[in-house]
Amino acid sequence: MQNNSLWIILQKMRIPFIVIIVTYTIAIVGLISINGVDANGNAYHMTIFDALYFISYTATTIGFGETPYSFTYSQRLWVTFSIYLTVIGWFYGIGTLIGLLQNKLFLSEIARVKFKRQVNHIRKKYIIVLGFNYVTNEIIKKLLNNDIQVVVIEKSEERANALILENYTPTVPVLVSDAHNANALELAGIAKSNCKAVVSLFEDGALNLRIAIVSRLLNKNIQLATKATTSSSVNNLKDVNVNVIANPFSIIANELKMAIKSPNLLKLEKWIYQIDTLDAHLEKLPVGKYIICGFGRLGRNIYQVLRHENIEFIFIEIDENQIKEIEEEELDHFMVGDADEKNILLKAGVKNATAIVAFTNNDTVNISILATAKKINENIITIAREDEMEDVSIFSNAQIDYLFMPSKILVNKITNALINPLSDIFARAIKSKDEHWASLLVKELMQRIDANPVLFELVINTAQANQICDYIEASNEIALSIFEISLHNRKLKNNVVPLLLKREGEIVVLPSLDTVLQLDDKLLLACDENAQNDIEYIAQNPYEFHYALSGEEKTLFKKGLFK
Amino acid sequence: MNLDKVISGFFIILAMTLNFGFFYGDLDSLESHSKYELFAAIIVNLIATTLKLGDRTQMGSVLLATSLVADIQLIAAAVVWSIAYYVYVIDKEIVAIIISLSGGALLANITSVALYVGETLKSKR
Repeated sequence: MQNNSLWIILQKMRIPFIVIIVTYTIAIVGLISINGVDANGNAYHMTIFDALYFISYTATTIGFGETPYSFTYSQRLWVTFSIYLTVIGWFYGIGTLIGLLQNKLFLSEIARVKFKRQVNHIRKKYIIVLGFNYVTNEIIKKLLNNDIQVVVIEKSEERANALILENYTPTVPVLVSDAHNANALELAGIAKSNCKAVVSLFEDGALNLRIAIVSRLLNKNIQLATKATTSSSVNNLKDVNVNVIANPFSIIANELKMAIKSPNLLKLEKWIYQIDTLDAHLEKLPVGKYIICGFGRLGRNIYQVLRHENIEFIFIEIDENQIKEIEEEELDHFMVGDADEKNILLKAGVKNATAIVAFTNNDTVNISILATAKKINENIITIAREDEMEDVSIFSNAQIDYLFMPSKILVNKITNALINPLSDIFARAIKSKDEHWASLLVKELMQRIDANPVLFELVINTAQANQICDYIEASNEIALSIFEISLHNRKLKNNVVPLLLKREGEIVVLPSLDTVLQLDDKLLLACDENAQNDIEYIAQNPYEFHYALSGEEKTLFKKGLFK
Repeated sequence: MNLDKVISGFFIILAMTLNFGFFYGDLDSLESHSKYELFAAIIVNLIATTLKLGDRTQMGSVLLATSLVADIQLIAAAVVWSIAYYVYVIDKEIVAIIISLSGGALLANITSVALYVGETLKSKR
């Protein structure tokens, strides 16, 4: 009984159908009851079939002429009446049907049915993405590349059409509906077992929270990934157990801190999020005086990060109310005024500042501030952010020294957390490390592997590593170093650097190769493609595993054919 | 009193009675079976079916199904009769087919009326 569209048609077609039936009946009854004359002049009555045949082609205005014999005048009088009666009935019926086919409600009903069918046909893992824009577009592409299917719910029909034009393979079913609508989520298959996650990256924090709650209620095991821009909404989202919370402002703040304090850490993070390779140019910002324009949500995040660092900084904010909450002893870090004015910039000390950061919520003002600052102090480093990933960027043409693109990190953070949860954990775990540690790791990765090592996740379970599991279950000990062995020659070693070991909630960063493996260990390894291939063989193939373990070829015949 | 109920009840019961009227009579000759009565039965059955369209309740769906069964059987009887009359000869076998088809339709119509009456009795308004 779910097939609404058919019922709408049927309900609305009742009257037209009855009109057609009744008019046909009247016309047919008249024809069979009126006397006719056949070719020989004998009286005859039309049969029911004759009458039906005649009326069928008359009502549809096809008109084959008078059959089976020429009509008498009394018959013609009746036919004249019937023509008007049945043709009008027929046109009314057809007209209603065509009107229905163009009905918005009916069309959206058809689209719903189609969407539902497409969702039901998905057999692989899939993820529901809410809203279609440049960020979710990137996420969808990444997910599809990783063999995860996507279903989209988008409110605006225009953007839903834009999605259809993207021509993803496999097809991404899209439903035009409000994203917080429980019915829409249900229709998108949120309760299905192969639906793994819901991604909701709206600007509106309340909407994200609402979606998180609705999704949680519909499926308590589903993963949720959302965006939050204030710390209170982050806490609210944590209360409903949202798995991935991305805050673009704290992303920028942390990136700024890393660029100043530990550029190698930033490099590692960019590599994990697949934005850059390890041999990319080191994006280092010098220590010195920073002028930061704008103290909104982003400014607050930066303030939280910088106040604990040994960096001189001053905020310029146009709105006095924004800095009311700041304690008095901190107030010398703040100035009230329009950062776009030369005097204010001079007062803030732009002449001897190292860098100026323009983070107000107006792009043109930001560019103007940076241009003014550059005029006063030629050597100042200009820093801006670009929210939208568009083809033509005004920032890239404005010769900004350092440009933050939180959207890029947001995309990669979300997809990584959903597809490769371990690398996301690793990225979070290294945040507390220092520059020295990071530079050593970068060096080691570059030397042992290459500039862009593959991140490979392996879980010691029967699905991914049955050989290792069997071996451990037979109460043997096996160390992580087994994965280092080259299958070409056991004495040689593959290029593998273990990055992370997760064992029952405990996280070990850079586990040593002597670590003894246990069941359900989750490993994150950096390696090259050849090594990844070998590791998969060792984990799953009895012959290769035996060779890696003992250096001997396993033979079938010694132990019997099937054991 | 609900005018909709009167109309649909009228057509559903009329469909059954006309069907019975056609079916009743000698089983191996068409003399006691009027083609006009079959025509009327088909028309009334079609109208009854149309009136049941678009009712999304469980009962509505079952009623629609029984009506469709009756329609198909009666129309099949009419088609067999026309083909035999114009193209072939009406022999005993054809007569048996026509009458047994309408008998089947009668059963469907009886089911339909029984359900309809049951539904009406259950209704509190």
